[in-house]
Parts: sequence; structure tokens; C-alpha cells
Amino acid sequence: MKNIVIGRYIPGNSFLYKMDPRTKIISLFVLMVAVFMIPRDAFEMMFIGIGLIVLLLLIGKISIKRVYLGLRPLMFLLIFTFVFQILFNRQGPELQSWDLNYSFLNIIAAAVLVLFWIFTKKYVRTKILYFAFMLVGVIIILNQLSLGNVFSTGQLVIHEEALLIGFFIMMRLIIIVTLSTVLTLSTKPTDLNLGLEAVMKPLKFLRINTEEIAMIISISLRYIPTLLDEANKIMLAQASRGVDFAEGKLKDKVMQIISLLVPMFIISFKRSDELANAMEARCFIPGATRTRLHQLFWNRLDTVALVVSLIILIGSITVRVVV
Amino acid sequence: MDIIQMKNVSFSYQQDQPVLDGINLNIKKGEWVTILGHNGSGKSTLSKLLIGLLKPSQGEIIIDNITLSRETVHEARKHIGIVFQNPDNQFVGVTVRDDIAFGLENLQVPRNEMVERIDKYAHKVHMAEYLNKEPHNLSGGQKQRVAIAGILAMQTDIIIFDEATSMLDPKGRRMILDYMSQLNKEGVTIITITHDMKEAVLSDRIVVLKKGKIIKVDKAKSVLKDQETLEKSNLELLLPLKVLNYLEKENIDNEKVRSYLWELSLTR
Repeated sequence: MKNIVIGRYIPGNSFLYKMDPRTKIISLFVLMVAVFMIPRDAFEMMFIGIGLIVLLLLIGKISIKRVYLGLRPLMFLLIFTFVFQILFNRQGPELQSWDLNYSFLNIIAAAVLVLFWIFTKKYVRTKILYFAFMLVGVIIILNQLSLGNVFSTGQLVIHEEALLIGFFIMMRLIIIVTLSTVLTLSTKPTDLNLGLEAVMKPLKFLRINTEEIAMIISISLRYIPTLLDEANKIMLAQASRGVDFAEGKLKDKVMQIISLLVPMFIISFKRSDELANAMEARCFIPGATRTRLHQLFWNRLDTVALVVSLIILIGSITVRVVV
Repeated sequence: MDIIQMKNVSFSYQQDQPVLDGINLNIKKGEWVTILGHNGSGKSTLSKLLIGLLKPSQGEIIIDNITLSRETVHEARKHIGIVFQNPDNQFVGVTVRDDIAFGLENLQVPRNEMVERIDKYAHKVHMAEYLNKEPHNLSGGQKQRVAIAGILAMQTDIIIFDEATSMLDPKGRRMILDYMSQLNKEGVTIITITHDMKEAVLSDRIVVLKKGKIIKVDKAKSVLKDQETLEKSNLELLLPLKVLNYLEKENIDNEKVRSYLWELSLTR
């Protein structure tokens, strides 16, 4: 619990690590806009985009596996959007269609297959493939079998447009998530914070004190492990008095969480009171000018990176306007 | 010259329940003063008054010729630093380096000088190799040393140690006490706030607080001998003194043993 990693920074040594966090944040933003600028029918552009991302990962020495780990929580969303498109998008020529026979026995057979999937999925490692197998299985059952009395029929039609747009949206999400994963993998949370502070500086005109926001983020970063440690201690203390955090009914669980939350709340308040005293005693005046130990340095590398991302943006805008 | 002057200082959180009552105390430059008192004697309130976190309800406090007030408190804090009891709750930075830098950033020290000072004072408290470590990878004693380095780097004339060793293990405590003696030799005025008699032994003068009042101010040696005062304020005698008392009570008179015990009580 103590050594929990905040952010997903992985130490490394490539041009991505030498870049200024400001450049990385701005480039991420520029490239995201560029990806959204790609028109829906410019399929080859998306492949160029994927190609560029792979190139970035290779030159930046970012392991593909890490990026995949970053994408994994999104798998459900990706597949969901794809399936959603296939089921409901009815534009463009038909590619393939299957007749579906609905009868009680057919539906029961399909339900059995779904149940089987639900109970066995935790033993299968490639969950996504297994999910696809289940879907195909359901379609085959409904298509091929006609057990008993068929009371209704339906059709599953896959349109060209559905396939294309589903694929397109998936690619777009993958590119965006990969880009932000590259940012968090190659930038320390503290540097990221500094970069964000610098990038947000224009907000000062809206009377938003960016320095204070940065201070809040940095203190949160510093206290997360401490508070996790504290939570662990409280859980142990409660467990020694018979509270079981792992099991019990929902109602019991809620009560147990309260027995954790209340002391955590009080402790955090006490801590922040003492911390505020300590900060004030060390001459901290909110809103006053401070010099900074960490300073950001703009290299030629940063200029190059920014120019490259801008060129990509201009490229995708041109394609959108011209084509 | 008196670097700290407290003139008839009183403080109360609630009316007619004074936490501190009519405190008069002068501390000389370069002196090491222990403020001794049991829980609830008002000793931590005293430290908060000195650092300007609380405002006295009566009387005035003068630090380095600056009379504390709402306007001058920020200036006065450049002369006085404090190390608190809980090592975790005064660690502001994400790493040791950031934490030592925190005070310097507030003082608007230029970056070059900041780097120099961080290096110098991290060496001084033997934390130089930990500069990039995060606080949850450090022991309590190490965190407390970082806190000391943070104050030292601000180059204040006075450092208050507010029960700074009470949460540490014996080894960590001994190290902090060593730094205190060393700093005092270098001319820093030190105020330790404690109920630990062993810490009090090292200082020049002891102030005994009880229920918000000073009941005794004297040289460390004479206060430590003053059984009556110590017992009155619920403080424990040093072990050798206890033995000494026992010997006297039982009429076991041996000059050699007595002088040895007295000697022992003044060493750590």
C-alpha cells in the first residue's frame, strides 16, 4: 500500500523524457484536435495516424505492452461502440444479413450460452475473444436452429457504413488514449503539474489563481500515500475489533465503509490543520510571489516537436477542407 | 541582548479560561531555553504565539526587535522557525528536495542560491543522499531531519523545537538532540518545548510552566534539582536523582555514590 505509484510514470530515457512537459501537454492537445479533424470518409488518414503513433512509440521507446495496459480499461467502451454501430447504423449498402428465428427454445438455448459465458468468463484469459465467440454463438443459434414453434423472425443486417464508422470511432479512441498514455508514462506527476500550471497561466485573466491550483495538486500528490497508509491502519484496527471488510451483506458493507470513512475524515482535517500551520510558519503567504526551485527549460527539441504536431494538425485540416 | 521578549502575555481561546496568563520571559541571543510543562500547561500555545500563528489577547511579543502584529508577523517569521511534533504533517514537498525548497521559495530566494542552500543543509543533517526520496519512503527521524534542514536553509536566528522528538525512536531522538547542541554552539538561539527531562538537561535555562503560568525560571541544573517545583507540575525526576533521593531517605550516605549519580544525571 505504501509504495503505490501515482500516475503511471515509468522511468526511461528517450526524447519523450527530455521534452518540456508544457510541449507535451500542448502537443497532446494539438494532436487530439488533429485526430478529430480527420473526416469520416478519409480512411487512409486514420491509418497514417496509427502509423505515426506506432512510429512515436518506437522512437520514444515506450513499450507497446504498457500502452495496451492503458487501453485495457477502455476495451469495453471500444467494443460497445462497435457493436452499437453494427446493430443500429443502417446507412450504406448491405454487406451481409442473417435471418434470426425467435422461438422459445431458441431463446432458451441462446440464454444458456450467455449464462455459460457469464460463469466461465473469469477462467478465460482472452476475455475479448471469448466475448466475440459468445456473440457469434448466439447469432448462429438464432440463425441455424429452428427448434419448436417460431413465433417471430428478425434480421441482423450489417451495413457497410456501420462497419466503417464503427472501426473509425474505435481507431480514433485508440489514438487519443494512446497519446495521453504516452504523456503520463513519460512525465513525472510533479513535472506534469508544473507543465499544467504553466499551460493554465492564461487563466489568470479570468482571476483563477493557477499557482494555488498547482499547490493543491502537489500537496494532494504528496498526501495520497500517507492517507492510504492511514486507511490501511484504520482497517487493521477495525478488523482487530471484528469488522470484516471483505464479506457481509450490502447493508453491513455500507456500515463498515462508514467505520472507515469517519475516522479518515477526522484525521484528514487534523492533518490539514497542522499542515497549514507548518506552511504558514515557513513564511507561506497564499497568493504571494514565490521563486521556484523547479524551472522548465525550452529546448530545440520542444520547438521541433511542437512544429511537427502543428504540421500534422494543418495536414488534417487541409484534408477536411479540400477533400 | 534579548532576542525574544514576552511582556505580560496572556492568551485564551475562551473568555475567563486563560491558557497562558501573564507570561514575562526574556531570552538572550544564542541561549538554549527549555520550556518544560505537563500536558495542558500551555507550552504548545506558547510556541504558536511566538511564531505568530496565534495572537496574544494581552501583552506583546518582540522578536528580533519586531513587535508581533498582523502586519509584521510575516517579517518576524524570517527570524524564527519551528519544528513541529508530527514529522508527517509538516512535510510539504513531494520529495525531500522540494520540502527543503518550500521555505526558500516563500522567501523568494533566487534559484541558484536555493540549490546551493539545499545542498549545504541536506549535508548538514545527513540527508544528502535522500534528496530525491519521497516522504513515505523515509523514517520519522529522517522526516524530522528534513524539517530541520528546511528551517536551517531559511537561516533563521531562532529555532523552536515543539516536542520535535516525542514521536521518534531513541536513535532518531539522539540525532535530533545532537543537531540541537551543534546548532546552539554555532550561535542559533534554541527553544525546546518538551516534557522529557533528558532533553531539558542539555539546555542553559529551564522555564517551568503550569496551568499557563511560569512557576520557575532558572539555570537548568538548579531546576533539575528542584524537586518541589517539578513534582508540583507533574514532571518526572531524572532517574539518577530519584536514586539519589532514595539514598538520602534511607540514610545511606556515600559521598562518592552521590557525586557519581549527580554527574550521571547531567549526561545523556
